[in-house]
Amino acid sequence: MNKDISISVFEVVGSPLCVASGDGQKVHDRLAAALRQGRGVSLSFRNVTTLTSAFLNAAIGQLYGGFDENRIRELLNVADMESDDKVLLRRVVDTAKWYFRDPNRFEEALRSGMEDEDGDS
Amino acid sequence: MNFALPTILHDWNGFAALARLHSQTEHCFLDNVEIDMKATDWFDADMCAPFGAILYRLGAELNSVHLVDIDPSVEKILSQNGFLSYYGREQIPDYWKTTVTYQRFDVEDDKYFSKYIENEFIRRYEIPKMSSRLMKKFHESIFEIFSNAVLHSHTKLGIFSCGQFFPKNNCLDFTVADLGVGVRKRVCDYLGNNLSPAEAISWAAAKNNTTKQGPIPGGLGLSLLCDFIDLNGGCIQIVSDAGYWRRKNKRTYASSLHQPFPGTVVNVEINTADPSSYILSSELADNEIF
Repeated sequence: MNKDISISVFEVVGSPLCVASGDGQKVHDRLAAALRQGRGVSLSFRNVTTLTSAFLNAAIGQLYGGFDENRIRELLNVADMESDDKVLLRRVVDTAKWYFRDPNRFEEALRSGMEDEDGDS
Repeated sequence: MNFALPTILHDWNGFAALARLHSQTEHCFLDNVEIDMKATDWFDADMCAPFGAILYRLGAELNSVHLVDIDPSVEKILSQNGFLSYYGREQIPDYWKTTVTYQRFDVEDDKYFSKYIENEFIRRYEIPKMSSRLMKKFHESIFEIFSNAVLHSHTKLGIFSCGQFFPKNNCLDFTVADLGVGVRKRVCDYLGNNLSPAEAISWAAAKNNTTKQGPIPGGLGLSLLCDFIDLNGGCIQIVSDAGYWRRKNKRTYASSLHQPFPGTVVNVEINTADPSSYILSSELADNEIF
């Protein structure tokens, strides 16, 4: 049986300030790779002091363009997150679900994801 | 070219005066631009961000910029926050510790911006006494503004920031300006219509509205800022193109400037004496997030 993996946001970003979209992209790339393998992920926010919607949109919101909502709920969980940061993340998730309801954006995100995978191979 | 700069407060008149400066100097090239500050008997220091943006643009057009006849009290504050260092004066110590350094960034400089915020706010225990929750929300707001400029402005000339603490009024002002395409162009290109600059800002500030396209969602930064300001009892002002937009006391006001600003300015003023807890809604269980 595959074991869940743990990803430390602080370790990926290298700072307690998780604010830039580019840093969020680094987190996203690890999450997306794990989800593609069907692995459960615990995303730890230990030692993270500051978060922005730009960071969370890139790290997590973006996942809703490439993965089914139920699959994300099944495989991804967050740990060591302050309560107000959870509220922010929930708003990012709600916004992402709304954003990808636009079929053009969803198609574009899927295309972009496929291009990334082509680039990886 | 000479321009007489009036008093600059962070309000409609202050933004209008800076837009007028831009309008009267925008075609200067290889010129000598003299800003006469004889009549500038007050300058809200955070307004160095949009002022510096306009002057930087003039420099990029190979103009020589000179600030002359500066009132001593204005010269002091603009020397303390480092602004006048860009124009040949020396930076002087800020014994009252109320200034937040004026700084220019490129869009790729997010790490430098983080360091700047750390140095100016997180490691400076003397300003101002705020609850830790408020301080955290304030930092996040500043980063949201910077991120908006990075993601949306398409500026090649940079992002300018400056702040000022007003201890008697329990206010902290922070302003970020960019020399990018502006809100109106982005919104009108996206919607395919012809909104006024102020209408375009109102559209961009509404929940879930975004001009973003592509795999990374958007449409949250400005509405988060407004929610925070509503809870805090502060104020947010946005100037872009010839649009002026303000939210204060949970009410929005929008109007036009007579001339356009060459980019976007966001000013936030927070009430530093606010004891709110800033939990925006009830606690969430982990399984309620996704």
